[in-house]
Amino acid sequence: MMAEEAVSVPVAATARRRWQLPHDWRGQTAMGIALIFGAAIMLLPFLWMVATSLSRKANVSMPRTPSFWPPDPSFFNYFVATANLPIVRLYLNSLIVVGVTTTGYLFFSAIAGYAFAKGRFPGKSILFIVFLATLFIPFETRMIPLYLFMGHLKLTNTYWALILPFLAGGFGTFLMRQTISTIPDELIEAARIDGASEFRIFIQIILPLCKPTLATLAILNVIWRWNDVLWPLLVTSKRDLFTVTQGLALAGRSSGIYTGVALATAVMAILPVIVAYLFLQRYVIRSVVSSGVKG
Amino acid sequence: MAPGPIPSLTGSGATPSRFGRAFRNAITWYSFLLPPLLLILIFVGYPTLLTFRQSLFTETVDGDVFAGTYHFQRLLTNAVFWGAIGNTVLLGVAFLVIIIPLATVFASMLNRIRRGATPLKVIYFLPQLTSSVAVAIMFHYVFQPDWGLLNGGLRGLGVDHLPLWLSDPRYNLTGSRAAVTLLAVWAGLGYFIIVLLAGLQSIPTDLYDAAAIDGASPVQSWYYITLPSLRPTFIFLIMTGTIDALSRFGDLWTLGGPGGSPARSLQSIVMFMFQAGFESSDFSLSAASAVVFFLIVLAVTAVAFWGFLRREFKAIR
Repeated sequence: MMAEEAVSVPVAATARRRWQLPHDWRGQTAMGIALIFGAAIMLLPFLWMVATSLSRKANVSMPRTPSFWPPDPSFFNYFVATANLPIVRLYLNSLIVVGVTTTGYLFFSAIAGYAFAKGRFPGKSILFIVFLATLFIPFETRMIPLYLFMGHLKLTNTYWALILPFLAGGFGTFLMRQTISTIPDELIEAARIDGASEFRIFIQIILPLCKPTLATLAILNVIWRWNDVLWPLLVTSKRDLFTVTQGLALAGRSSGIYTGVALATAVMAILPVIVAYLFLQRYVIRSVVSSGVKG
Repeated sequence: MAPGPIPSLTGSGATPSRFGRAFRNAITWYSFLLPPLLLILIFVGYPTLLTFRQSLFTETVDGDVFAGTYHFQRLLTNAVFWGAIGNTVLLGVAFLVIIIPLATVFASMLNRIRRGATPLKVIYFLPQLTSSVAVAIMFHYVFQPDWGLLNGGLRGLGVDHLPLWLSDPRYNLTGSRAAVTLLAVWAGLGYFIIVLLAGLQSIPTDLYDAAAIDGASPVQSWYYITLPSLRPTFIFLIMTGTIDALSRFGDLWTLGGPGGSPARSLQSIVMFMFQAGFESSDFSLSAASAVVFFLIVLAVTAVAFWGFLRREFKAIR
């Protein structure tokens, strides 16, 4: 923001002296070229992937010079990929898992955050430390016993295995507590005097006031859960329960020699996320930066 | 529920009813906390304790037998484990050494450019939204030695001896480790740029005005004002980048399997854990490596927290 204001002055100056280039046009041009070159390096693999996925020949032989336009454009590889992998089912699985975990994670984070921000009860700080301690335990540390535990509960190869471990967490609780602490007590006190129960205050007053933080948490959780591959690989081995990312990982390893088909699968797996990102990019970038946590 | 101070009506019953209300209130708060607390205890606390227990016991047909530090001795004399630690550290350090200067230069340019910063940011950030698995599959073909995007481009530039990239397990600048480092830099650059850009925009502009009045060149003010002001951002990125690098799994697993082919050159700590547990069914060895992994991450987090984040949290409050 500040930087934009700072540079708006020379722009106004150039508008007055219409036929002169801005004094720093050399620097601006050089930076523009460098930045566009960098952006091209970011985009080229994506474009090459899409072009290759549309080429039937790519499964047999690839041109020795990379081509960004398929010589024989067709959706053949997409049909093969869909036949190999129940892709619609995979999308449905991912949507169910991501939807339920995100809803649960937001709800439990918010309600625990409310209790820690506004509640008065014995043992509050100890309980808060218990919640925060989970931040310091990487998932990888507990994945093996968790996997065996899921086996004991007969939950492997069910949606429960993909959902239950991710419903509550210290990070969301901490973020929600920080947000709810900034809500003035008077607002809650007024509702209490009107006879509202704590739960009703939570639903009708607290949640609507936390929408920006809830949106941040939702975006982060969707990115994490959609892209997670380690845990689904462990607890689900039936094709009908695969998530999109997991299906892609397994298909990529088994159909690796069929370049076109493998890349068509990859395009199908990432396209929805990228389309959603292009619509929500401002919120997505802000969420990832403000929380300092990446996917 | 009427507020407390109406003694004329409640009379001597005021004290027990206030106590009763506090008690009822506490019950309400506990009922709010109970479901998430149970979930955390069952799915985070309990398995973590089991990891520690598993690392100290051996599974036999007669049940678990206490093994003391046996599994840790096995782990720490295991060349494959040290190889995995070496790979993880080497890949992590190479990644940070390349990405931080690169992202700083790009973020500085994005901060100064007058047009097109927003679309450029969106493009740089794009790989961050793509799962590490999809990125790995894409780069498996980008690094293909005969017709891959990279070698095809190098051939177009007239390079004769094209590198083997992912098929070459040696320690060199065109081998498998170099390839996955390029992949990680490509995938992570957008995140590093965006975080650094946020840091750059929080530097007060009057510092630059004062430097300009004193006759500092743009390069001088970048070196003497911008870089020192970004110090907290650098520390933050190094800490989070270290933890991410330590738990690297998805892309390497997709490219090299649990063993990190070729020749275990891509096996990370988490992949060792995965392979020991789920391919060799040696859960105790796997648990021991999980404990070592936990201690390393805890050490990094502790340094981050005490050295830096504590100050940040205070600033928030």
